Amino acid sequence: METKDRELLLHFYEDMLRIRFFEEKVRDVLLPQRLFRGSSHLYIGQEAIAVGVTHALRDDDYVISTHRGHGHALAKGVDPYAMFSEIMGRTTGCCQGYGGSMHLADASRRFVGEDPVIGSNSPIAAGLALAVKQRGSDQVVANYFGEGAVNAGAFHEAANLAALWQLPVLFLCENNLYAISVPVEQSSAIQDLENRACSYGLAGRRVNGQDVMAVYNAAREAVAATRQQSRPSYLVFDTYRFEGHHTADKETYRPAEEAVEEFRARDPVHLLEKAMIDDHTVDIPTTIAYRDRVREEIDAAFDRAREAPWPAPEQALRFVYTESEVR
Amino acid sequence: MEKGRMRNLTMTAALNTALREEMRRDETVIVMGEDIGVYGGVYGVTIGLQREFGPDRVRDTPISEMAIAGMALGAALGGLRPVAEIMYCDFLAHAADAIVNNAAKWRYMSGGQYALPLVVRSPAGGGGGTAAQHSQSLEAWFTHIPGLKVVMPSVPRDARGLLKAAIRDDNPVVFIEHKHHYTYKGEVPAEEEIIPLGVADVKRAGTDLTVVSWSRHLTLCLEAAEILAAEGISLEVVDPRTLQPLDLATICQSVAKTGRLAVVHEAVLFGGFGGEIVAQVVQECWGDLKQPPLRIGAPFCPIPYSEPMESFVIPQVTTIVDRLRAYLA
Ligand SMILES: Cc1ncc(C[n+]2csc(CCOP(=O)(O)OP(=O)(O)O)c2C)c(N)n1
Repeated sequence: METKDRELLLHFYEDMLRIRFFEEKVRDVLLPQRLFRGSSHLYIGQEAIAVGVTHALRDDDYVISTHRGHGHALAKGVDPYAMFSEIMGRTTGCCQGYGGSMHLADASRRFVGEDPVIGSNSPIAAGLALAVKQRGSDQVVANYFGEGAVNAGAFHEAANLAALWQLPVLFLCENNLYAISVPVEQSSAIQDLENRACSYGLAGRRVNGQDVMAVYNAAREAVAATRQQSRPSYLVFDTYRFEGHHTADKETYRPAEEAVEEFRARDPVHLLEKAMIDDHTVDIPTTIAYRDRVREEIDAAFDRAREAPWPAPEQALRFVYTESEVR
Repeated sequence: MEKGRMRNLTMTAALNTALREEMRRDETVIVMGEDIGVYGGVYGVTIGLQREFGPDRVRDTPISEMAIAGMALGAALGGLRPVAEIMYCDFLAHAADAIVNNAAKWRYMSGGQYALPLVVRSPAGGGGGTAAQHSQSLEAWFTHIPGLKVVMPSVPRDARGLLKAAIRDDNPVVFIEHKHHYTYKGEVPAEEEIIPLGVADVKRAGTDLTVVSWSRHLTLCLEAAEILAAEGISLEVVDPRTLQPLDLATICQSVAKTGRLAVVHEAVLFGGFGGEIVAQVVQECWGDLKQPPLRIGAPFCPIPYSEPMESFVIPQVTTIVDRLRAYLA
């Protein structure tokens, strides 16, 4: 293997571990210790998608995400400390405690924000792409959503307009088989979701979302086409939600063994690790060293965030409007 | 059935009872919404209904709020009595076209040809860190629309009796629950009880001040009344139960007795429904008022995530007690 490829794989590995360990911290420490409020939607099992896609993007490309967006944010380079702080409601959070787990945003990383209102983020992504195009820029907009969103009218209105106006937006559907309790067979009239936008001339491509290399290659082609030809692309990633819908989900609707079996067989981190070891890209001590280093990084970010200050109550009244004068 | 027997139920169980009873009574009643079948609804209100009534009458939908509300309207036109669940009232914004532009006006625009027996249930409210898009209190949006009825129960007995009345009503009803009030318990008669829409209930009798409130905040006002009673202050707590139609007579009777009015709600104060009540009472009972009415509600900002800020925005029992005490001082 060429050094370049080896380095790339190790980057994938590190970024996927960062997401995995971040989410495990949320699940195993923040949740039992009640360090966050509301609910948190974990990205465990889907890491290869955010990492593969983000590596195909440029730093100045935009990402607009969903309620399940911790992984999208980390992959785009949002600081784990700012994210832990936000999820714990501290002033040091990326949104100063106003947003929480479902509303992470970091304009400086072009991580436009999470939008947990299902379907609503696709028109916003298309609008961003309109602005990009109108400005004459060659940036692209990556729009993540779950398979549940393709049943929302907003997605279809956005897909049609993006195709009609040839806007540089990547529609990225993460098909993890469930929308809360509803399996995809019970929500979509057809199961090949890559065809859900074909009436807008937007042929989708189905990709194995557990294989980071497959994600990366598909995303690279899609990003290149979208950037060079200024037009939308649509990718559908087959994946699986390993955890409950959110941290309070009792998962009465799917057999527990299903999750465990799937986890073993399709864990994207393990798949990558195994592939790298099998073809001698890395040896086991190297993977252990990576794991230790990333875990330390996450532990340190969490420990620091935990001590961060709380916002003063009256801060709630800020940011409702801008303070700038009419331009 | 034993007469006068009471059961202690949560809001969730009371609502579930109402749905079950109405579905048993009338096979045209159907329930549809997201995750309401096997899952029983994210707040458990429809638990067991699909098992009892089958997937044709208890339908899990995709995430398609426009279709959920629009199809409820169509189904009502077609002879069913649909009860649609919108998972969070914030997403009534998606369903609002069907509710506001169509359901509210279909009868009117047709010169009275149609009746529209549909209910849209949805949980509102904050207090649990669900932040700006899953915590709003939007009742005022719907009270402003002629053709809609708006129901906001505060206790399990009312929840059950009002939901049954809403299902039997031939008009579109927006039935707003509170997501942090589902576990609140209270007595519910074992026997059938229908509570008519448009009849207020005096939840606590008193002499010094009429407090009008609804939904979860009504129960916070009852707590405040208990605390102030120990200080010798007597609150009369009135629950309109339905905001549209509004039982102004009961509120005015109370104000005639106490000479003072405070309205307390969780929603943003500016443009909130409290303003309507105050305006009506001022017009109707000017001569009875000893003091300008008081309004307590949320300041003009979205619901923030972080705990200290959210508790500042949503009126707490302590805030209510302090404000009412100061008002009477
Ligand atoms: C408009 C809207 N309706 C309902 C919800 C409640 N809700 C939150 S997540 C979710 C399921 C989403 O499923 P999917 O899009 O497949 O994403 P996943 O959670 O599987 O990642 C639902 C119904 C919402 N957030 N927005």
